[in-house]
Amino acid sequence: MFETPEDRKYQESHEYATTDGETVTIGITDFAQDELGDVVFVELPEVGDDIAQGEEFGVVESIKAVSDLYAPISGTVTEVNEELFDRPELVNEDPYGEGWMLKVDRADDADFDALLSADEYREQTE
Amino acid sequence: MSNHNRHERAQGSPYAPHTPEDTAAMLNAIGLESEAELFDVPAEVRFEDELGIESRSERELRAELSSTLAKNADLTEFLGRDHHTHYVPSLIDELSERSEFLTSYTQYQPEITQGFLQALFEYQSLVVELTGLPIANCSMYDAATALGEAARLAGRVRQASGTRVLVPEILHENKRAVLENYVDGTDLTVHTYPMADGTVDVEALAAAADEETAMIYAENPTVHGTIESRLADVGDVADDVEALFCLGSDVVALGLLTEPASVGADVVVGEADALGLPTAYGMGLGLFATREAFLRQVPGRLVGAGEDAAGKRAYTLTLQTREQHIRKERATSNICTNQAWVALRTAMHLAWLGPDGLVDLASQCVREAQSLAERLSELRGVKAPVHDRHHFREFLVRTDQPASAIANDLEASGFAVHVVDDHRLQVCVTDVNAAATDALVAAFEEAL
Amino acid sequence: MNHDQARYGDDERYEPLLSEKDTTSVDVDEQSPLPDDLTRDSLELPGLSEPEIARHYTRLSQMNWSVESGPYPLGSCTMKYNPSFTEDVAADPNGAVHPDRSEASLQGTLEVLHGLQDYLARIGGMDAVTLQPPAGAAGEFTGILVAKAYHESRDDDRSEVIVPASAHGTNFASAAMAGYDVVELPSGEDGRVDLDALEAAVSEDTAALMLTNPNTVGLFERDIVEIADIVHDAGGLLYYDGANLNALLGRARPGDMGFDVMHYNVHKTFATPHGGGGPGAGPVGVVDDLVEFLPSPRVCETEGGYELCEPEQTIGKVHGYQGNWLVLVKAYAYIARLGDEGLEDASAKAVLNANYLAEQIDYEIPYEPFHHEFAATAGDRDAADVAKRMLDYGVHPPTTKWPEFVPEAMLTEPTEAESRASLDDLAAAFNAAMADSIEDVESAPSKTTARRIDQAAAARNPRLSWHALGDEE
Repeated sequence: MFETPEDRKYQESHEYATTDGETVTIGITDFAQDELGDVVFVELPEVGDDIAQGEEFGVVESIKAVSDLYAPISGTVTEVNEELFDRPELVNEDPYGEGWMLKVDRADDADFDALLSADEYREQTE
Repeated sequence: MSNHNRHERAQGSPYAPHTPEDTAAMLNAIGLESEAELFDVPAEVRFEDELGIESRSERELRAELSSTLAKNADLTEFLGRDHHTHYVPSLIDELSERSEFLTSYTQYQPEITQGFLQALFEYQSLVVELTGLPIANCSMYDAATALGEAARLAGRVRQASGTRVLVPEILHENKRAVLENYVDGTDLTVHTYPMADGTVDVEALAAAADEETAMIYAENPTVHGTIESRLADVGDVADDVEALFCLGSDVVALGLLTEPASVGADVVVGEADALGLPTAYGMGLGLFATREAFLRQVPGRLVGAGEDAAGKRAYTLTLQTREQHIRKERATSNICTNQAWVALRTAMHLAWLGPDGLVDLASQCVREAQSLAERLSELRGVKAPVHDRHHFREFLVRTDQPASAIANDLEASGFAVHVVDDHRLQVCVTDVNAAATDALVAAFEEAL
Repeated sequence: MNHDQARYGDDERYEPLLSEKDTTSVDVDEQSPLPDDLTRDSLELPGLSEPEIARHYTRLSQMNWSVESGPYPLGSCTMKYNPSFTEDVAADPNGAVHPDRSEASLQGTLEVLHGLQDYLARIGGMDAVTLQPPAGAAGEFTGILVAKAYHESRDDDRSEVIVPASAHGTNFASAAMAGYDVVELPSGEDGRVDLDALEAAVSEDTAALMLTNPNTVGLFERDIVEIADIVHDAGGLLYYDGANLNALLGRARPGDMGFDVMHYNVHKTFATPHGGGGPGAGPVGVVDDLVEFLPSPRVCETEGGYELCEPEQTIGKVHGYQGNWLVLVKAYAYIARLGDEGLEDASAKAVLNANYLAEQIDYEIPYEPFHHEFAATAGDRDAADVAKRMLDYGVHPPTTKWPEFVPEAMLTEPTEAESRASLDDLAAAFNAAMADSIEDVESAPSKTTARRIDQAAAARNPRLSWHALGDEE
């Protein structure tokens, strides 16, 4: 079974968003990393770039597949997980922890409301 | 039927091993009575007619094709202009035609195709050494399509934001035509810049380049055989307008002339078939090398070194997500089948020459061209070379008399040269035809 | 079947690189006849003797699988036997000519090329053929450019090319390269084109539909006449991807099915060797309406011989010269060797072999009736792992995980070149690989030169030349 922590919200295209009240952390789900297989490359926006809910913000590649990444919320990128450029396997090993992708300034609450709960996302992947 | 059948098998493909008994047993195994039942083709599109192609035996065909090709005139070629040849040692045919190489497929199962993968890895490495650029793919079709791919790469990368591709005014018309088609589906447009006495007019190029320029292309040697002396300045012009600098060359010239990386080339394209292939009516092998920064924008296949479960170094096709079979319409190129076997031959030829042999061969291309030009220039009404430059393999010849009339006379005497325009010919000399230069000069004199 | 592939080398590698055998640095300035500012400073290459080179490449060849090594049933690749005599024909010194010679001095070459144009036109049911495209994908690009030029000549602005989801990846990429938006057509439930979906997809924006027939799971598109009508009624052209033509030689022709433009993969259908990935050739055939847009030059017949001619509204060029001569002449020889009966028989045996093999293997095959190839499914196993295990049984596995709409697909095309006995061996390998334990399958292969290669690690840390191996070794 795949992990789907309760402390965050999900998007149908398999990205998650979680917030500590200050910034929002974005990444892909355990289910998504498993579907992709061994991740070998991640392309992410730069600090200062704006991302918009539902719009592409990057690309994740495994050996045999390429997937676009869609922003679960809108905001301005404040930090990019540069560790992924050297160790893209972190996306497989720890998607909700060290495998995070972006930190974005505090999003509109409405963005979060539009996302799926852990339960709803789990249903979609079963 | 002519003597089609090697033995008593039914009239059919000589390369299908089935005896009539096999066929019957196999049909029986799948529950069919005849071969016709194998085909789920609606009657309305079934082809019931004859194609009208008569089968011949192997012996007949070898005789037929040998006699057909003997209709080609027996000419000593002094031809170049983007398609060059050098002596290909027997070893290359012997090794490359081993069926394990010749009849293998693309290395999608790397564990069982290490031999070809290593040979392609070595080819890439040799190109890296010759160009000084760290990334080389394992082939494009030819120099012209490699240039087209380079322009498309320039159109994709962030570093070059413009849409104009600048090429020398003397660019081979075929290359220009291919380039135009490769950029047809993009917003790139092709423009020319002037030459000054056979080499890049750097000042005019600087004036033509602007922030809308995506790529500047130059060649060394040029299509007229002249050697560029200001490539670093061309690189600077490209840098100033944030355009890519693409340099065209060939594997022999690269062994002697200025290293592309040292003058700021971002992409190197050109002819790799100058080694490894005999003259083959224009069949080629496209060089493609570039900087690390453009790794994920490279068209075509790449072989990488990795490790297997036994902990040993092993090779595999890598970064395949760039390619059409995974990225489809967003691939860096549509190329699938490439020129791998030609790359194998070119690598073998480079290995056979070694560094001394390559520099010797390239030096010979300079000396022979210089010597032949001097001898032709002694003839009345002839000036060679036209440009006061150093030359590689070939050079322009100005003739007082109409160039095409001279070329016709030369052909009648058994020599082929290029007609460039009304009063200019182009002559190419390498190790292959160097022994015939005396005869060419004599025939030239006769033709005047 | 017992099989152990050659394996040389030492604890570190299977055969040292040329550069590990010797590296020699030359001071170029010293040897050069040119001023220093025109030359490179130094050159560092392997400097080996001829015997050492011969041994190096002979060993590499022994560590490589090929059609002449054993079965090579890669679906959509048509790895058939490559007759040796075509190599001798291609090596004829009279054919080793420069393309810029006068036409008068090239009559032999032009006659062979004209003959091949004619053969291919007959086989495809097309009115004219260009031999210029150097590969199948280049043929697709050429064909789509021809279609584009045709529409433009009629001031008909069209922006889309429709491609079935199950098509070869090159179709999508070639259409995009020509500047078209690609509209993906979902596969119908029976694995064929869904006519309703096609009706919905076509519009006044449709420049062309690209289709292969039989399609990528070997099924003949039975509704091809209706498909052609739908596309033509919308003003679009029908493009035939020739990758699967080996199923139909002499039995059905794209031209008769309503296709307007097609490419031939001569390295598949007409037995020219694949050479480890190329060279191939991708001639393009067209119907009368499109002849004037073909690349320049074509070979035309005159009263006394042959000449190069330029189509009036040509798209220009897609290759620096006239394509891959050495491949084209082999294709001519192969077609002439087989003739009508041989070509027809080649297809019959190719389809027979696929059906016989399918009957012998314990795999589900979701789509039937197939022709020269079939898509088996590895079920709950990983098709890529099963394929690796097959390597240990002395055969090359099929194409895996494609087409994507078949779960864990193993796309299998034995070609006509396999004997019944060889197909039995191949079937045994299929079945043994499926019956083996998961552990055996996941740890395979062990009898190939290299053991399972970590492709993810190779992609995460790309080392693409011996210069990049550096200190890590």
